[in-house]
Amino acid sequence: MLRFIVQRLLILPVLLILFSMIVFWLVDAPPGDYLTSYISNLAAGGSSIRGEQVEALRKQFGLDEPGYIRYLYWVQRLLQGDLGYSLEYLRPNADLIGERLVLTILLALFAFIITWIVAIPAGIYSATHQNSLLDYVFALLNYVGVATPNFMLALILMWFAFAYFGIGITGLFSPEFEQAPWSVARFIDLLKHIWVPGIVLGIAGTARLMRVMRANLLDELNKPYVVTARAKGMSEWALVIKYPVRLAFNPLVSTIGWYLPQLFSGSLIVATVMNLPNIGPLLLRALIQQDMYLAGSILLIYCLLTILGTLISDILLALLDPRIRMEES
Amino acid sequence: MKHKLLHTLAVIMILSMILGACATPTTEAPKPTAAPAQPTAAAPKPTAAPASKYKEAPQLAELVKAGKLPPVDQRLPENPAVVDAAEIGNYGGVWRRGTLGPSDYNGVNRVIDDALVIFSPDGASTVMKYAESVTPSADYTSWTLKLRKGSKWSNGDPFTTDDIMFWYKDVLQNKDLSPTLPPWVQNKDKSLVDIKQVDAVTTVWTYKDVHTTFLMELANAEYGDKNVPCFLPSKFLKQFHISYAKKEDLDKMVADAKFKTWTELFLLKISPFDTPERPGMAAWVAAPGSRISDQIFKLVRNPYFVGVDKAGNQLPYFDEVQLKFFADANALNLSAIAGELDQQERQIQLANYPVLKETSQKTGKYNIFLWTSLGGADADVTFNQTYTKDPDLGKLLANKDFRIALSHAINRKQIQDSFFLGTGEIRQPVAKKGHPYYPGDEYAFKYTEYNATLANQMLDKLGIDKKGADGYRLYANGKKVTLELSSANVLASSPDVAQLIVKDWQKVGIDAKVQIRERALHFSLRESNDLQAEIWNQDTAGFPFTGSTKYDVRSGIYGNTTYGPLWYNWYRTNGKEGVEPPAYIKEMVALIDHAKTVGPADQAKDAQQIFKLWVDNMVEIGTVGLTAIDQGVVVVNAKMKNVPPNLTKDWPLRTPGNGRPETWFYVP
Repeated sequence: MLRFIVQRLLILPVLLILFSMIVFWLVDAPPGDYLTSYISNLAAGGSSIRGEQVEALRKQFGLDEPGYIRYLYWVQRLLQGDLGYSLEYLRPNADLIGERLVLTILLALFAFIITWIVAIPAGIYSATHQNSLLDYVFALLNYVGVATPNFMLALILMWFAFAYFGIGITGLFSPEFEQAPWSVARFIDLLKHIWVPGIVLGIAGTARLMRVMRANLLDELNKPYVVTARAKGMSEWALVIKYPVRLAFNPLVSTIGWYLPQLFSGSLIVATVMNLPNIGPLLLRALIQQDMYLAGSILLIYCLLTILGTLISDILLALLDPRIRMEES
Repeated sequence: MKHKLLHTLAVIMILSMILGACATPTTEAPKPTAAPAQPTAAAPKPTAAPASKYKEAPQLAELVKAGKLPPVDQRLPENPAVVDAAEIGNYGGVWRRGTLGPSDYNGVNRVIDDALVIFSPDGASTVMKYAESVTPSADYTSWTLKLRKGSKWSNGDPFTTDDIMFWYKDVLQNKDLSPTLPPWVQNKDKSLVDIKQVDAVTTVWTYKDVHTTFLMELANAEYGDKNVPCFLPSKFLKQFHISYAKKEDLDKMVADAKFKTWTELFLLKISPFDTPERPGMAAWVAAPGSRISDQIFKLVRNPYFVGVDKAGNQLPYFDEVQLKFFADANALNLSAIAGELDQQERQIQLANYPVLKETSQKTGKYNIFLWTSLGGADADVTFNQTYTKDPDLGKLLANKDFRIALSHAINRKQIQDSFFLGTGEIRQPVAKKGHPYYPGDEYAFKYTEYNATLANQMLDKLGIDKKGADGYRLYANGKKVTLELSSANVLASSPDVAQLIVKDWQKVGIDAKVQIRERALHFSLRESNDLQAEIWNQDTAGFPFTGSTKYDVRSGIYGNTTYGPLWYNWYRTNGKEGVEPPAYIKEMVALIDHAKTVGPADQAKDAQQIFKLWVDNMVEIGTVGLTAIDQGVVVVNAKMKNVPPNLTKDWPLRTPGNGRPETWFYVP
């Protein structure tokens, strides 16, 4: 097991170098650079900028250098633990990401918890009561949940709240707490607001997870060991929870690590639509504005977390299911 | 038994899910915020300080009482700027606005309008702000600029001519900080204007040539477009300047800020939006620690602001301006519709005008004003008259009658009704009626009549009267006449209007199509003379001589000039490259140069002549203008007063800055 983990960790730098190249190439691929998006922003605002000014800025930002030089410069900074400087915000990228990190993770955790708390019991119920009325109701809700893009759901909720209650439900804080330092009152205020985005973000995941849980469990429930246990007089509740449910968890656990990058990414579109101050809109903006070092840094962290997440999944799986532990194979 | 238990559990769960979803908007959503809209203080009362000539905000009076701030008479200059407004207001309250973040910084420049001289609400003249007077010599070669004696920066430092000379000597003449000189400080021979410091308040600016546009230029010599303002807090900035700071201190600061050179650090420290400790002169300055990249950028009252109202109350009335960062313009619009923004015109979309109007009538929370520009057109078509890729098409595009025919082919009423929601007027891109530059109705509406028959007749005479099987016109050599209208897919370059225009052109037998391009690609095609036609707006009609005016073929905005890239090259290389422009273009260039050397009355004559040539030659086909599409739909809190209902908007005017936000206030 230990050997396996060490092996995986050793590949990490190689993967990261590869990913850093791909990320940089992708971010740099669109035509133009930060300054072309900058001047067209100015143009849309009615103003215009002189050609010499643009050239001076391009030089100042180092955007006149060829791609590989800019890549090496970026990587050199990364190796010193420096995520670089945002062209648009004129601030270190690490600060920008850092100040959004707590809220991003809180929101994602909240959605994650909603998902699991609702989906697992409902999935178990659906499987043990296959083709019952409630099972069908769950199924219908599932299809609706999966089929509705969550940004659409956000828009509908926002419209509903505005049209019938005359309130806007964007953001995560009341105006008076928006900039306040963390305090109990601010946290309570956050809890008041986090529900809507939490449910919006959780709903598709809930539906998907419920279906997977149901299907996994159905596979297990008909196996001979279940019949045997039942025949031996084991209580139904204890039986289901102790054996088939545990096995049905396997495929789910194998994907739990994927939540790690999701915790960090902050659901791009929903967060943008609902104006949530997390990392999603930061990344989207950076990509649109071609603020390449900021976008690159976020994407690279995302890659790193994906790799780590997969590793965590593997480890968890091994802990949960003795059959696939490395030592025994 | 167990079965039942599970059953009950599941029922409870699904019920709570449904209830949760239904109840969410009522119980969990943020409550409507009434508080910030309410003024926090009553009408200004005379302060406790004896025999004070001026009155101040209660907020500041308390600080004075506590000994933390000098009395208001000592904070104001000897001769403060008296700001005219409809009503005398109340102190207090927060002005909530929205922004799209750091790249939307010009939105903040427009609010604070941080300049020595600014434009009047109608945009026709200039008004003194931080400057006391600006007077030209009789021959308009030199200008005497006087500051207000005793005026101070927001931290209490004296504001003197040292702050102008620091800019002139240490910034403008430092090659690292200013690699190129802005045109307005240059003489015709490209040398720098001479500025003499006479005393603590007086500077004399001497040009080698006649220079009549100085006041307009001074009004834009602030932080707009991140240009370096012509007056800087020298005492604060010297610690970051290589000529004054100790090298090791500076190096350390540069390294700490993760910059490569001191100039990057210096340019950051100049920014009033990224450096909260930088002193300012505006009515509101950044709150301690607050920056434009924050979720809410807070600007607070400047206790040393030089403006007072007619009753002697120091301005501004609002305690605070809060700019909320929206990741997306639609979210900002939604917030405005919900009445969460107290005054907002920037980023408000014309498409939301009906819902805003409806909500305003229903709730009474806010009013909607429509502000319009100085003229021009909000959508127009420009043809590339030096197009060479396809010689047949190039010849057509260069033909005035072809352009006039296509102008008549456009059904402008349809564009006005469907895209501009019936607002504005059908017109050519010239100054608006009532403006001294207005060339008259004859030109403003020339060739705007929708007449497909006339268009067809005119096109028939151009040797493209034969038509192919698909009904489109053919050249004499049998090739089909095709035309591409390029749109950069930004507000100013609307693909929707382009589609309507192209359909009208197809009806007169031109196989036209819209090509929507990524903006950078659009600009690079413009530069390389590869655009055939372009849709854009004309927003420089109020300023045909200064700035990056589109009437000047030499402006080369974003790389080149759409209507004659090769003419632009001809001027740029002094005739070595490119193509010599026709007589009317040369005449326009001469008029622009002439206007910079004469007084306002003659400038108006020059401008009218420029517009006449512009329309007669159909350089740019105007469709609809004077609409509210670009920052003209204004949401105003119903309790907010003194906001002008008919303000003239334009970027050089820094609207809403020319509407004097420092005089806006809330009634209880």
